[in-house]
Amino acid sequence: MGADHLSGAAMLRIDGLRKAFGEKTVLDGLAFEVASGEVVSLLGANGSGKSTSLRCVVGLERPDGGTITVDGVTAKPGEAMPTVAMVFQKIHLVPRRSVLDNVCAGALGRLGLSRSWSVLAFPREVQAEAMACLDRVGLADRAREKAGRLSGGQQQRVAVARALCQRATVLLADEPVSALDPAASEQVMNLLRSLADDDGLAVAAVLHQPNLARRFSDRILGLAGGRLVFDSRSAEVTDETVASLYRPALEALEAAESAESAESAEMREYA
Amino acid sequence: MTDLTKAPEPRLDIPPRFRPSGVATAVAITIGLVVVHWYAAVQTNTSPKELLEGWRGLWNFLFGVDRTYPNGKTIHQDGAFPLDLRWSETIRPGLEYCLLTIWIGLLGTTLSIPVALFFAVISSRTTNRFAPLWLTGRAVMSVLRAIPETVYALMFIAAVGFGAFPGVIALAIHNVAVMGKLWSEAMDEVDQGPVEALRVAGASPAQSAAHAVLPAVMPSLLGLLLYRFDTNVRSSVILGTVGAGGIGFFIKTEVDSFHFDTMMTYVCMVIVLIIVIDLFSAWLRRKVGTV
Ligand SMILES: Nc1ncnc2c1ncn2[C@@H]1O[C@H](COP(=O)(O)OP(=O)(O)OP(=O)(O)O)[C@@H](O)[C@H]1O
Ligand SMILES: [Mg+2]
Repeated sequence: MGADHLSGAAMLRIDGLRKAFGEKTVLDGLAFEVASGEVVSLLGANGSGKSTSLRCVVGLERPDGGTITVDGVTAKPGEAMPTVAMVFQKIHLVPRRSVLDNVCAGALGRLGLSRSWSVLAFPREVQAEAMACLDRVGLADRAREKAGRLSGGQQQRVAVARALCQRATVLLADEPVSALDPAASEQVMNLLRSLADDDGLAVAAVLHQPNLARRFSDRILGLAGGRLVFDSRSAEVTDETVASLYRPALEALEAAESAESAESAEMREYA
Repeated sequence: MTDLTKAPEPRLDIPPRFRPSGVATAVAITIGLVVVHWYAAVQTNTSPKELLEGWRGLWNFLFGVDRTYPNGKTIHQDGAFPLDLRWSETIRPGLEYCLLTIWIGLLGTTLSIPVALFFAVISSRTTNRFAPLWLTGRAVMSVLRAIPETVYALMFIAAVGFGAFPGVIALAIHNVAVMGKLWSEAMDEVDQGPVEALRVAGASPAQSAAHAVLPAVMPSLLGLLLYRFDTNVRSSVILGTVGAGGIGFFIKTEVDSFHFDTMMTYVCMVIVLIIVIDLFSAWLRRKVGTV
């Protein structure tokens, strides 16, 4: 599964990434790489900094320090990279617009305002390219439907088509399947896998399902407290390693619960 | 085990609902409000006596009065009722004036759309993240909004003379400021997700406005537009009374020439006009909401 691509040079390289919100350090010197043709999963407890790291790469957050390079080009902090696309858990299509218009929007970065002030101004080449992208995700026959009418899984594939229409070489996915049923999740993960294998994209996906991560990715990265705690081939990641990622959170939860029950025991005694 | 069938022993004092400092504040505020209102009543000659005398005047205005002059002659001054229902002298021209009022409200609203949209887009944080520009947009709209339509109308009447046109311009300028603000607030509340998604794809602020914000807020913008049309037709009645055309202008002329019955006919027509426009705009807004 894509292992032969691993030798390739890193398409996305993140080094020493730091980000704090006020007093709270969210990313603490995060470093990892993703090669072309490779699918990498990011696992980590809630609040471990997974989303923030992806948002720094696409310029939605401005990192406090560290470097991000894409195909050898260094990203400017807080600015979007033309070749890096992102899909989201909440998908973020424009529901009222047609599927095709949503996909065309991926090309906005290379269109001047005169050719993009309205959907009516989109050039024919762009629309044709968008149709090809839709075909790639298997939804060409739905092009003229309103995006909001499609199922969640179909909408997520439209979002992937929008990323393709951006001509991305790096695809970031923040919990792309967390809102989808198992069958739709499977379809979307298969699509991501095939984009890496057949089209040579570098794919990094935040997942909350260790099983999906093992099955669909070449490597799994574990994040805790804004740092990388492991970076291993999927086959080498044991259940124990994965469980340890979530343990601090579990321990905190247990601690809070036991404190609470102690308190109520005290109250009962008092009564 | 606690016995749940019995009320628990009282253990904690119930904290008082009112604290002494809170009571003192409430008393001070009450006294302050009473003083302010008493002063306002003195300044405006509002008193039970004035109210009673006002009533007599109102009665005479509504139902007419016989005035006896020093030379012994008695003249009947017609009141507002019974209404003046002459078709070709009163009602038919009245309908035409009402239509003119609608046209003033319509043009005043429509002409303001492009500029209002421009101000809305530059004044919303969703569509414009360049702080100096959106501060400027908001400031300009605040200034324009601070001047009432009537004052604009008076200025344009001074410039171009009586007529419907100064009314249209007055409404349009005021509406740019009001609708621009309403629209920019609607844009502020839009879901940021699609905006961020397009920013990742390299879209400029103008492109995200066109492809993420506007499609999402279009029904709200249309609803607000219809609401403003409704309000602007009302305003155009008032603008008429200062000389800017339409039914308001004729209400004012009839009052000035003591034709209270004709005036009251026009007032009744205004009531019907406003209710019809209100129902129409509410109906259209419901339609738009379901699209
Ligand atoms: N804009 C922001 N302002 C302040 N704090 C933020 C902001 N964005 C994220 N955070 C904080 O940063 C921390 C990491 O958030 P992040 O969304 O990266 O976590 P995550 O690993 O994606 O978690 P989850 O699994 O819940 O999605 C959290 O504690 C969050 O509260
Ligand atoms: Mg997250």
